[in-house]
Amino acid sequence: MIAIDALRCRNLVIDSLAIGPGITSVIGPNGSGKTTFLRCCAGIELPHHGTVSIDGAVPRVTETGWVNEFPDRNILFARVYDEIASPLRFRRDTACDAIDAGVKACAESMHITHLLNREVRELSGGEKVLVSLAAALVHHPKVLLLDEYDSHLDALLAEKVDQVIRASGARYVIRCTQQMNTAVKSDHLLFFNAGRVTHTGTPRDVFAFLKNTAFYPVLWECGS
Amino acid sequence: MNMRLDHACVIRDHWSLSATGTFDKGVHLVSGVTGSGKSTLALMMAGLFPLSEGSIVKGELSTCMLSLQFPELQVTGRTLEEECASWGAPAEKILGATGLTGRRNTSPLSLSRGELKRLHLACVLSRDYDLLLLDEPFSSLDCEEKSKTCTTIEQKPGITVIFTHEQEILPRVFRIWEIAEGRLTDCGRLPDAYERWHHVPPAVKRLTALGSPPGNISIRDIREAACRIQG
Repeated sequence: MIAIDALRCRNLVIDSLAIGPGITSVIGPNGSGKTTFLRCCAGIELPHHGTVSIDGAVPRVTETGWVNEFPDRNILFARVYDEIASPLRFRRDTACDAIDAGVKACAESMHITHLLNREVRELSGGEKVLVSLAAALVHHPKVLLLDEYDSHLDALLAEKVDQVIRASGARYVIRCTQQMNTAVKSDHLLFFNAGRVTHTGTPRDVFAFLKNTAFYPVLWECGS
Repeated sequence: MNMRLDHACVIRDHWSLSATGTFDKGVHLVSGVTGSGKSTLALMMAGLFPLSEGSIVKGELSTCMLSLQFPELQVTGRTLEEECASWGAPAEKILGATGLTGRRNTSPLSLSRGELKRLHLACVLSRDYDLLLLDEPFSSLDCEEKSKTCTTIEQKPGITVIFTHEQEILPRVFRIWEIAEGRLTDCGRLPDAYERWHHVPPAVKRLTALGSPPGNISIRDIREAACRIQG
């Protein structure tokens, strides 16, 4: 369980929140605190007050994978292979053969083997997101945090990536998305507004409160 | 007023894109999968990517604006106020409309991606251009902002070309184009274009299957078609 207690960070105010294993989507207006929430769960940002606990441990001692909302801010290395290998190389406890095998297996699962020897600067926005996601998954994190990763993916690719995320073995996946057709395919949904979590529950529970707003899934308006 | 592409072609190592067609006044939507060449075509049409072959002819187009997919690449101001001024846009009005009034002296690069996109689009859309090229204008915007942006785009007087993979909230468009296997295809006007368009939005597909195809792809058209079924 991810337990959040009396959290205060920038504009974010969460008195109490529990997130179970599975895929949790975070939705809400721009600037409502979604990214700050993800950063606190990843341990990238320390809250001014309160705690985030992941199965009893603080985020900074938990294996996490992170994909930034700015694709160019994810990537450190010039070549795709080196970028995906970097989390394993930084651990300094993995043999070169194992790193190579891990990178190739991860790239294959993401269908990006053809990109491994490409320069990152030559990639499209969507391809950069796939590389960032591969780098986040290559070390099999317990918690996977994805900040609007799908805003650069077409629908078919987003569906394929969704399958990869589900098969990744990450116990907790927390993802911000502005695609409501993606949000409906989640185990849990959080709706943020002005720094607070105003609705939580299953997608059906939460969207029941959002009927007649722009956030209500277009497909559901068509009877799906 | 139009833009004519005559076998306009870009060739790289193992990849090429060829485009032929005429873009007249109105809103055009160019769709295609990730990496298909949408951004490259936008750069070609803006005159920022040298053609390997073919030509692009501008007919009575005196002003052109390209909004890049990544708004951070077009930031030049140190503060939000300077950023608005760099686009020739009134800071007070723009910051008020984007909910950023209290942050006029902060750096644009300190904004969240959604906030930066909102600011960027408000600046770009504050003026009218003969040719307006919008590369993924909806990425990172929340649903309400996407709807507002659609309304603004529909009111633009010149040629507006949207390059996007967005499939939920879209404006009413004049013509559909698609990039696949290195080639731009003109799918034509809606609703006839549905038959030739591979990236028909799921809601449109669903309504068509139920016997009520929407006249266009905007949320208003989709709701109207859904109402016809639900009575």
